[in-house]
Amino acid sequence: MKRHLALIRFALGSSRRRAGRTVALGGALALVTFAFSAVLLLTEALRREFHLGAAALPDLTVQRLVAGRPALISEQWVPRIAALAGITSVAARVWGYYFVPALAGNFTVVGVDASPERQPVDAPAVVGRGRFLNPDVAGEVVMGEALAGFLGLDVGDAITLPVGKVGKRLQIVGLFRSSVALWTADVILMSATDAREFLQVPAGLATDLAVHLSTPDEAVVAARKIADLMPDARILDRQLMNRAYDLTFDTRGGILGAMLMPALVAFLVLAWDRLTGVGPGERREIGALKAMGWQTGDVLLARLWENAVIALHGALAGIVGAYVFVFHAQAPGLAKVLFGWSSLYPAFRPAPAVTAGQVLVLVCLVMLPFVAASLVPAWRASTRDPLALLRGVA
Amino acid sequence: MNEVPAIAIRAHGLTKRYANGRVEKTALRDVALAIPAGRFWVVSGPSGSGKTTLLGVLAGMIAPTAGEVELNGRPITHLRDHHRSLVRRNGVGMVFQEFALVAGLSLAENLLLPFVPEGGPPPAVCRQADKLLERFGLAAFARTPVERLSAGERQRAGIIRALLGGAPILLLDEPTASLDTANVQLLVDLLVELRAEGRTLLATTHDLRLVNDPRVDGRLRLVDGAIET
Ligand SMILES: Nc1ncnc2c1ncn2[C@@H]1O[C@H](COP(=O)(O)OP(=O)(O)OP(=O)(O)O)[C@@H](O)[C@H]1O
Ligand SMILES: [Mg+2]
Repeated sequence: MKRHLALIRFALGSSRRRAGRTVALGGALALVTFAFSAVLLLTEALRREFHLGAAALPDLTVQRLVAGRPALISEQWVPRIAALAGITSVAARVWGYYFVPALAGNFTVVGVDASPERQPVDAPAVVGRGRFLNPDVAGEVVMGEALAGFLGLDVGDAITLPVGKVGKRLQIVGLFRSSVALWTADVILMSATDAREFLQVPAGLATDLAVHLSTPDEAVVAARKIADLMPDARILDRQLMNRAYDLTFDTRGGILGAMLMPALVAFLVLAWDRLTGVGPGERREIGALKAMGWQTGDVLLARLWENAVIALHGALAGIVGAYVFVFHAQAPGLAKVLFGWSSLYPAFRPAPAVTAGQVLVLVCLVMLPFVAASLVPAWRASTRDPLALLRGVA
Repeated sequence: MNEVPAIAIRAHGLTKRYANGRVEKTALRDVALAIPAGRFWVVSGPSGSGKTTLLGVLAGMIAPTAGEVELNGRPITHLRDHHRSLVRRNGVGMVFQEFALVAGLSLAENLLLPFVPEGGPPPAVCRQADKLLERFGLAAFARTPVERLSAGERQRAGIIRALLGGAPILLLDEPTASLDTANVQLLVDLLVELRAEGRTLLATTHDLRLVNDPRVDGRLRLVDGAIET
């Protein structure tokens, strides 16, 4: 124990003595860790977003396709599907994308039946400030917090949005908060009647049907039954979407990884030798230590501590940098490469999510190979004749 | 009681060849020597004659091409790295021609460096270090980084470090090369005291102040890697 403390003190002194090497090394490792962590944190954060968002989706979503495109669906299907076995509820939903020319942006307008006995099962109805919609009151909206922030609006404000040629005045009565950033970024909730007006959905028709099952695991069976009933239906299965989404993410992350790899490898090959190697001054020093009776193990242990401390700081700096880059700066550039949707969600902010496990894995991933690799040249030097090292000929 | 003193440093058949690229350089040729315990011997010889190489081989810091070294009756040449480190740590103290100090560390830190793997120096060693610093006029430089010291100051630092381990055998490579006459006298006085404690001393030198000192017990001359008789 005393030996370790003394060697650690010596190692810390060495990293201070070799400040240039220490800074170059720490900086390089920080950079590498940053690149890895930024990709990892961003993919993980978005994967989490999606899964949270998907959790709010109905088990099955039924759309009607006409000539391959989603078309409005008749509400007459609601009782007929509800009559099928294994189905607990069917709701006709009115929602859609609404383009606002003045903002050059899309909102997602969602019609909500706010009557207490028919609370929306799938609306992200966690109201942060203000209140939820009153049933049967026209002209009220509840807006996603992030969207309101982006537009500079607050509870009590009114907005006028064009419907056809006339403007319609809407009163913001509440802001909703959600653990899912995508929800709050562009969603406006309003009464079903108002939504029909905005989206030009005639009475008796709906955008799609939200179906909830008594046993969500039997989604495939239920979907087949609905498809038999409704030949022109397209049925989206939540569990299937989750899987497909994971696959896309893995592929995109993989492609980016593949793009980063050659750069990283080139960088590492160039830097590795300089960073992990021992310079002439260090060889002399190893020679001096061995000459005065240090064991090879003592030299290596001191070296290990020195490099481990540097690597730990470098790795942590890289991770903190990546955290700030992804969650505070919204990953400029990187998000576009990975997902290409920053224009769709101008105020997209992934919720900060880092687990201790992720940090540990990253730190180990960077530290272990580096520290291990850096021991090899030190070990080679410290097994030479000490006097030859002192002369600089070994 | 013992009429014939034990041999502290014994070597026979010592040969060292260096490969200088394609050229081979024979630095030691079939060297044999036997230095009695508790004596002060010097090895002189022209530059390049192999003096540093000889001390290095005797101290277990250079592996000889052929031959064997025994320190206090114990063969060291074929020891494994771990045990040779132990010999360097406890068996011999060595003063290096080029001092072998670690730049960036202070004089005091350099002196105590051999004790780091043991968890730091025992208090007695610290006291002895202070005493020797005082004796060699270096007390004021204890906190000074060694690279700022003069050559003579660094040489004295190297000498003090070799003494602190309390090793029974001291090997000194050109210990007076950078010293003024007053410091040469200080050093020889100290070496004579150590001899009185029973330690064995072997110094290489081409310094006549040292070679001709009447207190030296024995003299060897190395020419072109061989002992001249
Ligand atoms: N590691 C080495 N590799 C190659 N040649 C070496 C090496 N060490 C010493 N030599 C050569 O061996 C010879 C003896 O060197 P050594 O340092 O032992 O001489 P020396 O007697 O100590 O000289 P000086 O009095 O100048 O210190 C020299 O010719 C030197 O060039
Ligand atoms: Mg020499």
